Amino acid sequence: MPKLIIDNLEVTVPEGTNVLEAARKLDIVIPHFCYHKALGAVGSCRLCAMMFLEGPVSGVQMACMIPAQDGMVIATNDPEAVELREHVIEWAMTNHPHDCPVCDEGGECQLQEMTVAGGHAVRRYTGPKCTFTNQDLGPFVQQEMNRCITCYRCVRTYRDYCGGEDYGVFGSRNRVFFGRVEEGPLESFFAGNIIDACPTGVLTNKPFRFKSRSWDLQEAPSICPHCSLGCAVIPGGRYRELQRIRAGVNETTNGFFICDRGRFGYDHVNHPERPREPRIDGQPASMAETLAAVRTRVQDLVQKHGPAAVAFLGSSRASFEANALLREWATQVGSPHLVFEAHQGRDRAARVLAARLGEHARSLEDVRQSDLIVLCGADPLAEGPMLALAIRQAARNGAQVVVIDPRSVKLPCSATRLPLASGRLPEVLKALSQKDLSAFSRQERSVLDGLAAQLESARQPILIGAADLLAEAGVTALCAAATKLSTPERPVGAMVLLSGPNSYGGAMLTGAADDFDTVLDAIQEGRIHALVCLSSDPFREAMAPARAQAALGHLELLVTIDSTPTLAAQRADIFLPARASAEMAGSYVNNEGRMQAFLPVLNPGLPISQTGAGNHPPREFFLQTPGSEPEEDWLILAQLLESASDLATIRQRLASSDQRFTELPAIAPETPGIRMSGSGQLPPAPPSELPHCTPSDTLTLLAVSAPLGSHWLAHLSAPLAAQEPQPYVCLHPEQAKELGLNAGDRARLITHLGHCHVVVKIDEMMVSGQVMAPQLMNTALEGMLPGSVLDCRLEREVQV
Amino acid sequence: MNDLLPQNQIDSFKAKATAMAHPHELIVDVLRAIQSHHNWVPDAGVTLTAEVLGVSPVEVEGIATFYDKIFRRPVGRRVIHVCDSVCCWSLGAEMITEHLQKTLGINLGQTTADGNFTLLPTCCLGACGDAPAMMIGLTTYGHLTPEKIDALLQKERAAIAADD
Repeated sequence: MPKLIIDNLEVTVPEGTNVLEAARKLDIVIPHFCYHKALGAVGSCRLCAMMFLEGPVSGVQMACMIPAQDGMVIATNDPEAVELREHVIEWAMTNHPHDCPVCDEGGECQLQEMTVAGGHAVRRYTGPKCTFTNQDLGPFVQQEMNRCITCYRCVRTYRDYCGGEDYGVFGSRNRVFFGRVEEGPLESFFAGNIIDACPTGVLTNKPFRFKSRSWDLQEAPSICPHCSLGCAVIPGGRYRELQRIRAGVNETTNGFFICDRGRFGYDHVNHPERPREPRIDGQPASMAETLAAVRTRVQDLVQKHGPAAVAFLGSSRASFEANALLREWATQVGSPHLVFEAHQGRDRAARVLAARLGEHARSLEDVRQSDLIVLCGADPLAEGPMLALAIRQAARNGAQVVVIDPRSVKLPCSATRLPLASGRLPEVLKALSQKDLSAFSRQERSVLDGLAAQLESARQPILIGAADLLAEAGVTALCAAATKLSTPERPVGAMVLLSGPNSYGGAMLTGAADDFDTVLDAIQEGRIHALVCLSSDPFREAMAPARAQAALGHLELLVTIDSTPTLAAQRADIFLPARASAEMAGSYVNNEGRMQAFLPVLNPGLPISQTGAGNHPPREFFLQTPGSEPEEDWLILAQLLESASDLATIRQRLASSDQRFTELPAIAPETPGIRMSGSGQLPPAPPSELPHCTPSDTLTLLAVSAPLGSHWLAHLSAPLAAQEPQPYVCLHPEQAKELGLNAGDRARLITHLGHCHVVVKIDEMMVSGQVMAPQLMNTALEGMLPGSVLDCRLEREVQV
Repeated sequence: MNDLLPQNQIDSFKAKATAMAHPHELIVDVLRAIQSHHNWVPDAGVTLTAEVLGVSPVEVEGIATFYDKIFRRPVGRRVIHVCDSVCCWSLGAEMITEHLQKTLGINLGQTTADGNFTLLPTCCLGACGDAPAMMIGLTTYGHLTPEKIDALLQKERAAIAADD
């Protein structure tokens, strides 16, 4: 731990810390552009000059390039260093247009801060400035090249860190241009990060343009609700509208970046069809009346039919506190029917994970540090995008990446690939852990033998899967493999991507209750009369949607608590409007069991852009903000339970009632979060599968999720909805040839769910023998619940 | 594609690239081969280079636009690079450049109407010892004076006429 003196103050820092960071530890911030903790130091902007007075280095040096060492004495305010910084920033600013009043970066411009901090106030350069023609970089990023000071941060973020290949730097001298070879949308799913990385207004948030000045935004630290990884985000709202999201920093999870689904998926909060008022039998009512009606009707049904007549369905996107209170309610009623995910495949997989993960749990930071990553049945870009970036960082440090999957899994790094049918994934995990690969073909063994050897020698291997394709059997096999391959000196990590931000939390809360499929049976048979849905939509999410729709029609009472326009909200007998995560405090438990707290950004209310329809909002006066009735999901449940209704007390009570949640009251926003202790319970044994008769001339269709189109909250966000793909299927070239299909052909996909028109995609990394279709909301592929395997036929459509 | 690079050269670059750990190292070579065959590198030349080497077009374009000796626009029969760096500047490069512009009747970055000469500034010819210097084609000329330039241009014009 080197000890050094900066501006007469002593500081001790970990080995390898650079002097710029050491000074920052003393709250001495010296202007800099090229240095970024995630991107590293390159010493190219020449701005962080400091005077090294004593020690192994002397004279004016770039602080980011010098590792802190014992005995260093450094002055940041030395006249020579100060003058150098002043000249460097003046030079960087010569071509800058000084259009700050009309610049979208105004108010959060690091260039402005660094210019002032660098001591440059009056422009002396009076010559002509170089100008550029901007490119249209697609729907998310707005370019204004004239403002560029060529710090190279965007290209280091986009290409080096995120692995994008369609953005670069061209030219030399004062002609340097950052962009694409040809105008067009940026291809990387992490493109939005260059908005955060750009220190000035060259790359700005396109959907956010002309909405707000940054100083007018309400911001607070939050947790992204779009997958199970729990990335730190900072949403910003104004005029009752959530207007943008930028990356938060959590070095244990997402690091400094987020994916585009997280960044541009804010708009579900503002959805015009979002139900905002409490309703009883379709009629608006007050919150108090509605809460009372729920209590009375549930009580009546319990009295009439017994406690087992009420079922409770929690949610992977409701706060952990609300889900925990739902469990209290179920216990209070005495109902055994408590499930936290309508998709029974995902539910069972999450419960197995919560029961079995234990010491194998790994964070995204652990993934970045790993030297062997085995992806088995996981497609990070669709199921947990930031995992793809974490894997890329590991690969950049020399890690081996092996992908075993029926799909052609896209990754921003190279990988060894073994296409394998989804049904065989548990088998391969088992075979690897038992070191018996005899059941695999010679071709398959060419990959697996190498992998088996790597698993022996790797220092920090991690096995990664996902709930949809692995399902219960696969997650069991993955956790068992991690245990079997671990030794005390060399533990093996495991990570499983789940469906939502609180899937793991829900799984920890579930007892040994039956899954939702059994609940549907009981509804169908008239044993369950009431269903309480917390932020979930069994009409869309149950694995057999047609059966769910039929069964749910038999309910006497459907109570829905939600912040989005789901079918369950539309069809509810009693509806209670909840807040979105950006509108409340609460916590989520990510896929490694990490409890993370979030804070409210803004209060709910009809956005002024909607009440005024683009014009001045109506000149009507109410005591209450229109659309402000939604309440915190945990508050609604606390009121239903007639128990304490403040978050601190609720967390305290949960912590004392269940020792696995002891740390819950200690979690705080903007911290790495705290992993839950203990484990969940395994689901009851799955019902024995009926023999499946495959009709002749059919293919096996594997339903999966896509990066965009399969996720409910992202689908409700206009900037993302506009980018959703048209329905398509993907298959292996050989299979396509057999069916006489070519890439780009229109085809008819026929399953028991009906038939629909799809475009044919061909990918040679697909496994032969399975056809892949993504679930796409609001299209004919909406019923393709990820993880389901269906018989299908695929017929070429003749163009008329 | 054949007007950009003969097939045998394409094949040979492809073979070399497959055998290399970092085919990026060949980007300049392929671009120069296209330039010597086609006189300059059009967009299709950038795409072709990326295809031949299996790299992204962004990487090729980054290099093609960085080096001023790779021409991304049509040039005349002879390209004159006149050095504007410090050694040449201190020994009268501004006067040399002005003389070239006046004699050829064009500004820097332009091509003469007869398509014979393109005049470009350059930041280095590696000829500081002979400053002020310029390069015509791949031959450098130092210790330039207006008279020397006139003689050189005369010679080049004669050579062009002989080629035709």
